[in-house]
Amino acid sequence: MKSSVKNIAEPLVFFAVLLLLWEFLVRMTDVPDFILPPPRDLYTAFTENLYVITIHSVVTFAEAVGGFALSFILGVGFAISVVYSRHLQNTIYPLIVILYAMPKSALAPLMVIWIGYGMFSKMSIAFLVAFFPIVVNTVVGLKEVEPELLDLARINRASQFDIFTKIRLPNSLPYLFAGVKVALILSVTGAIVAEFVAANQGLGYLIMQALYSLDTALTLVILFILALLSLGLFMAVQVLQRKIAPWSSEVRQVEGSF
Amino acid sequence: MASLITVKDVLKVFRSGEKTIHALDQISFEVDEGSFVSIVGPSGCGKSTLLKIISGLLASNSGTIRVNNHQVDRPLENVGMVFQSPVLLKWRSVLGNIMLPVEFAKLDRDRHLETARSLIQLVGLQGFEEMYPFELSGGMQQRVSLCRSLVTDPQILLMDEPFGALDAMTRDELDLELLRIWEERKKTVLFVTHNIQEAVFLSDYVVVMSARPGRLLKKLRIDLVRPRTLEMLSSSQFGEYTLQIRGMLTSASKIPDAAIGSTT
Repeated sequence: MKSSVKNIAEPLVFFAVLLLLWEFLVRMTDVPDFILPPPRDLYTAFTENLYVITIHSVVTFAEAVGGFALSFILGVGFAISVVYSRHLQNTIYPLIVILYAMPKSALAPLMVIWIGYGMFSKMSIAFLVAFFPIVVNTVVGLKEVEPELLDLARINRASQFDIFTKIRLPNSLPYLFAGVKVALILSVTGAIVAEFVAANQGLGYLIMQALYSLDTALTLVILFILALLSLGLFMAVQVLQRKIAPWSSEVRQVEGSF
Repeated sequence: MASLITVKDVLKVFRSGEKTIHALDQISFEVDEGSFVSIVGPSGCGKSTLLKIISGLLASNSGTIRVNNHQVDRPLENVGMVFQSPVLLKWRSVLGNIMLPVEFAKLDRDRHLETARSLIQLVGLQGFEEMYPFELSGGMQQRVSLCRSLVTDPQILLMDEPFGALDAMTRDELDLELLRIWEERKKTVLFVTHNIQEAVFLSDYVVVMSARPGRLLKKLRIDLVRPRTLEMLSSSQFGEYTLQIRGMLTSASKIPDAAIGSTT
């Protein structure tokens, strides 16, 4: 009990000290506000722009989660078909690997031309960055089954369907969760980068607007909001994993890229 | 007693790129129904490969396996398998893991649930039915694995160094338990190990194999009374058997050509 209080109190104290130090340093050194505003300004920027921030947060959240949802459905589906079909493995998989090697954020301008100015072009970038970690992790999870288990299945005349539902799919869960965690964070990044390129709403757009007027305080506030957003998504998945697969300890995760 | 498993002139070669590895060289022996036979030999002598070939999971390059007078050309149905690691499903309880072969083979669930519970009693796991593998010790996990191999009531039990990863005390304990189960359930057991003492302690016959390429050095009959007890481990008769097997293995490994000439 005592240590759990300590685990909460310690970081709180640490961050409070950090904020004080920040405020103190800004005052001591006379740095201009547009380079580093004091924490107090951040608070003002937050309360004054609360409404605007909320609206644009919802947009970015929707883009990120929408893109992620699409990547989850298509990614898991694709991973299963690649594991079971040699044809797909020989044709589509190399194509995916080439796409994987591309910096997805560089595709953002193209997506504006192809899909348009609105939320769907942002979703498409969020989808693209989230897709690969999902696919790669799921493929590994479906394939990395102890060979003895497959021997056991063969000896007992297990059907392919049974092998899939009773061995491969549950076996892939810890990997899939690892992939989902990476994918969610990346999809937020993807949405923001796409908004940088061309948008009239969303937190990425708001950052650009704030920077045009050298409103560094608001920019920093948005960065913290983004961190909270990603952290919230990450923790939601963590809770879900403990519910669905409490037996899965952390499995090493495969890298994602954007 | 009639012979249940007949291994005749089995030869197995693995090829990977330029390399050819002679795993098994003309192995022949027979296993009587209801007997306990161990295969012992140094690491990498192809014991596990041999077990896989007998189970029908792996094809040999030449030679035949006959079980119940039928040639084995596909995975056997009437066998239970126990591996070196327990290979349990992490997401299933003890009972769920034991029932896995029943579900795979689409057998009657209720009837086998009873078998599963009696097996759990037999290995002393009552009260742990709903626990998950990560909550169990290594020895308990291997007991679950043993129950899983027995739940379909197979005629043959194939065991690939099942207790090799356990500490010596747990291994002794499980060896005794295995003998008790074997005597009670009348199985034919083929038991692979690199532990000479364990092989002698458990078996009616010990099949001694040389290092690669795996050759059969001798099929040795073990005339120790049953039921076996741990006290027998220090008897002179027991010591003679282990010494004899050790001698065979040592003199076989003194011919380096046999080992080196095989990998070209």
